[in-house]
Amino acid sequence: MELRPILSAMLRNKTGAILVALQIAITLAVVTNAVFIINQRLEKIGRPSGMDTDNILFIQSYGFAAAYNHNVTVQEDLELIRKTPGVIAASTINGIPLSGGGSSTSYKVDAQESTADVSGNYYEIDEQGLDALGVKLVAGRGFSHEILRYDTGQPTSEMVPEVVMTRDMAKALFGTDEGAVGKRVYDNLGQSATIVGIVDRMLGAWVDWDKLTQVVFHPVVSGPPLARYIVRVEPGQRDALMKELETKLGESNRTRVISWVRTHDYYIERSYKADTRMAVLLGVTIFMLISMTALGIVGLASFSVNARVKQIGTRRAVGARRLDILRYFMLENWVLTTAGVLVGCGLAYYFSYWLSSAYEVPKLGIGYVIGGVFCMWVLGQLAVLVPARRAASVPPAVATRTV
Amino acid sequence: MLAYHIRLGLKSLRRNPVLTALMIGAIAIGIAVCLTALNVFTLVSSNPLAHRNDVVYAVQMDNWDPKEPWWDDHPELAPFELTYRDAKAVLASDIPDRTVIMRKTAMIMAPPDGVTAETAKPFVSVVRMTPPDFFPMFDVPFKYGGPWDDKAEAAADAVIVLSKENNEKFFGGEDSVGRMVKLDDREYRVVGVLDDYYPVPKFFDVNNGALDDPEDGYVPFERGQMFELQSAGNTNCWKPESLNSFRDFLNSECVWIQAWVELRTPAKVAEFKAFLDGYVTEQKKFGRFERPLKTKLSKVSEWLEMNEVVEDDNRVLLGIACMFLAVCLLNTVGLLLAKFSGAAAVVSLHRALGASRAMIFRQHIVEVALIGVTGGVIGIGLGWLLLLALRQLYNSYEAVTHLDWSVGLIALALSLVAGVLAGLYPTWRICRLQPAPYLKTQ
Repeated sequence: MELRPILSAMLRNKTGAILVALQIAITLAVVTNAVFIINQRLEKIGRPSGMDTDNILFIQSYGFAAAYNHNVTVQEDLELIRKTPGVIAASTINGIPLSGGGSSTSYKVDAQESTADVSGNYYEIDEQGLDALGVKLVAGRGFSHEILRYDTGQPTSEMVPEVVMTRDMAKALFGTDEGAVGKRVYDNLGQSATIVGIVDRMLGAWVDWDKLTQVVFHPVVSGPPLARYIVRVEPGQRDALMKELETKLGESNRTRVISWVRTHDYYIERSYKADTRMAVLLGVTIFMLISMTALGIVGLASFSVNARVKQIGTRRAVGARRLDILRYFMLENWVLTTAGVLVGCGLAYYFSYWLSSAYEVPKLGIGYVIGGVFCMWVLGQLAVLVPARRAASVPPAVATRTV
Repeated sequence: MLAYHIRLGLKSLRRNPVLTALMIGAIAIGIAVCLTALNVFTLVSSNPLAHRNDVVYAVQMDNWDPKEPWWDDHPELAPFELTYRDAKAVLASDIPDRTVIMRKTAMIMAPPDGVTAETAKPFVSVVRMTPPDFFPMFDVPFKYGGPWDDKAEAAADAVIVLSKENNEKFFGGEDSVGRMVKLDDREYRVVGVLDDYYPVPKFFDVNNGALDDPEDGYVPFERGQMFELQSAGNTNCWKPESLNSFRDFLNSECVWIQAWVELRTPAKVAEFKAFLDGYVTEQKKFGRFERPLKTKLSKVSEWLEMNEVVEDDNRVLLGIACMFLAVCLLNTVGLLLAKFSGAAAVVSLHRALGASRAMIFRQHIVEVALIGVTGGVIGIGLGWLLLLALRQLYNSYEAVTHLDWSVGLIALALSLVAGVLAGLYPTWRICRLQPAPYLKTQ
C-alpha cells in the first residue's frame, strides 16, 4: 500500500536507516543470547537441592588446646544442641553441601579391577544426619547410632559397613534405583558396604560438577581437630538459634573455639555467586542496550520528522488524515526494524555458534530468536510513537509557508 | 584558533541541549560499561609476576592413573600439583636457583598472652607452609623483618611471617618482629611482617581459587609434617592404596603440593627439565609413573592460561560490553547526523562568507571531540560507580574491583577515538554540503 513511497524515501536517506537497522540487529543478537544465558543460570541456581536449606545451620568447632578431647566434645556438643528447644535434629558432618568444598571418591558395583568407577560426593554423618539435612528417604532406612565409626584424625582407608545414597547415585551405579537397597557397593581396594537406604535427591559440594546429584552417606564421625555440626531447626527459628547456640557452645568448652555459626544460605549464595553475577550483569546490560536502541530510534525518527515537516504539511493539505501520517511513520519503522531483525537473526546465530564452540554453552533455541524478533517489533513501534504523533499533529497550513 | 573552535563548538552544543545530553550520555554509558568489563578482565587476566615471568616456573610431572588422564577435557595435561615425595625430590635438586614446595593448612592463630586488644581474638587461620625462598622468588614485600633463614627451615623452627592484617589485629600494626603468636597452642616467633600483598590472580596457587585471599601467615614447610597437619587445599588421589596413617598419605600417589622453581638461564631450564625426566624415568623402574613420560616447566603466564584463570564469563561480558559500546556509538553517529544537518544553513553561511572546507571540518571535529571527552570523563566516573556496585557480586571483591588507572586512561583515549570516529562521517557529510541551495531559501 504505502510501502513504495516509504522505501524510496528511505533510499534517499540511507545512512540514517542503516544506522538504526544496525543498532536493532546488534541489540537483537546480544539480547537473545544474553537472555538465553540468564535463563540457564537461573535454572541452575533454582534447581531443587533436596535439603531443607532454609532451616539449616552449620557450626564449626576447632579443638586446639592440649586438653581437648574430640569424642567427648562432640558428644557433649550434640547433647547440648539437641536438647535446645526449636532444634529438630543435629548431626556431625564432614563437609557442607553446596559450599564448593567437600570430598568425593569412587564406587563400583563389584570388586573387579576392570569395573568402571562411579564418582560420588560423600558425606560423613551420624544417626540424625539424614533428618538434619532434611532429605527424603524413599527406600530402606537410615543409620543407627551403634554402627557409627569414630575417626581419630589419621587417614583411614577402611570402608564403612553401610551406606545410604541418592537415587541418582544408585542409577549411575546400577542403571536403575529400583531394588538398590540390600545391594553392595565396593571401593577400589575391593572392600564393600551394604546399601541400606535411598534418598530422593540431594546436591553435593560443587555446583559446577556434572555429578552433583551423586551423593553417598557414610556413618562416620570425623576425627579431630575439626568438628562440624549440621542443625535443622523449626521454621522461623534459625536466626535466633544461631546466636543462642554460638553463645552456649562457646561457654561450654574452652579447649576449642567455635570458628563460626553460619546459615546454609551463606554457602549457597557464595557458590552461586558467579552465576548470580553473570545473570545480574547481563540483565543490566540488556536493559541499557534496549534503552539505548529505543533512544536511537526516537532520535532518528524525530530528525526525519523535522526534516519532513513541509512534506507532511503538504500531504495533510491534499487530504491525508492524521492517522495516515501516523501510519506512515509506524510503517516506516516496521520496515526498518524488520530489516534490522533479519540481519540480527543471522548475527544472533553467529554469536551463539561462537559461544558454543569457544565455551561450553548449548546452542540458542529458536524460541529465543522468535521472542526477540517480536520484542524488537514492539520496541520499535513504541519508540516511534512519540515522534510519529508529533508528525501527525503538523497542521496542513505548514504547506503554505516557505520555511 | 583552537580556542575559537572550542568556543564555537560549545556554543553549538548549547543550542540543542537535549541532543547534546543524549550524545554525551550515550558515549558515557558505553564507556562506563566497557571500562567496567575491561577493568575486571585486565585484573583477572593480569600476571602479577610479569617482571619475573622469564625465570619462575611451575613444576609438573604426570604420576596419574594409567587408565585415565588427570583431566578428561585436557588429556595432554599433567596434574597441577605434586605428591609429597616428588616435591621433596624437586626440593633436593640443586639445579634451580630457588625452589619452593608448599601447601596450606588451617590452624588456630592466637595472640601472645597479655595481648588483649578487642581485635586480637583466636581464629581459624589459613597458613602457608613453604621454604623461605617463597618470598624473594615471588617478590613478596616486607614491612618489617624478613624471611626465616635456611637453618630455621632445615630445623622446621617455630617461626612465622605474618600478613599485614594479622599484624594489625594482634599488634596494632607495630613492628612485631621477635614477638610471639600462638598457632594451635604452640608459640611461634615472628620473624617478618608482610606489606600489602594481594596478587590477583593468586598465581602461585590458582588451583585452590584464583581469587582467594592471601594466607594469614607463612611457616616452614616441614612444620606441617612434624605435627601431621592435614592439607587445607585441594588433595587428589587416584590410586587404590591403603592409607591408614599420615605416613601412608605422605608416601601415597595423592597430589597436594605446589612446586615452583627459579631458573635464571635457558641452560638451567634445559638442565632441570632433563633432571625431571631422569627422575621420572628412574621412578618408572619402581612401578610408578605408569603414564607416558610427561614433565613440564611453565612460566607464570603459561601457567595462568593452562589453569583457565580467565573465566569464560569474563570474555562473554567483555564481548557484550564492546557490542554495547558499538550500539552507543551508532546512536551517536545518528544523532550527530541529525544535529549537523540541522546546522546546514549556518555552515552554508560560513562557507559563503569565506570559511574553507578544512576550516568547517576542524570546527566540527573539535565539537565532536568535546562530546567524546566529556562523555569519556563522565563515563569513567560512572564506571567507577559501577565497579563499586560490582563489589556486591564478588566474594573476595577488593582485588577484582579496584579501578586500574591504566584502564581509566585507556577508557579516556577510547572515548576520544570513539567520539571522533563517530563524528567523522557526519563531519565529512557536512563539509561536502553545497551551500547554494541553503542560502537560496533564506
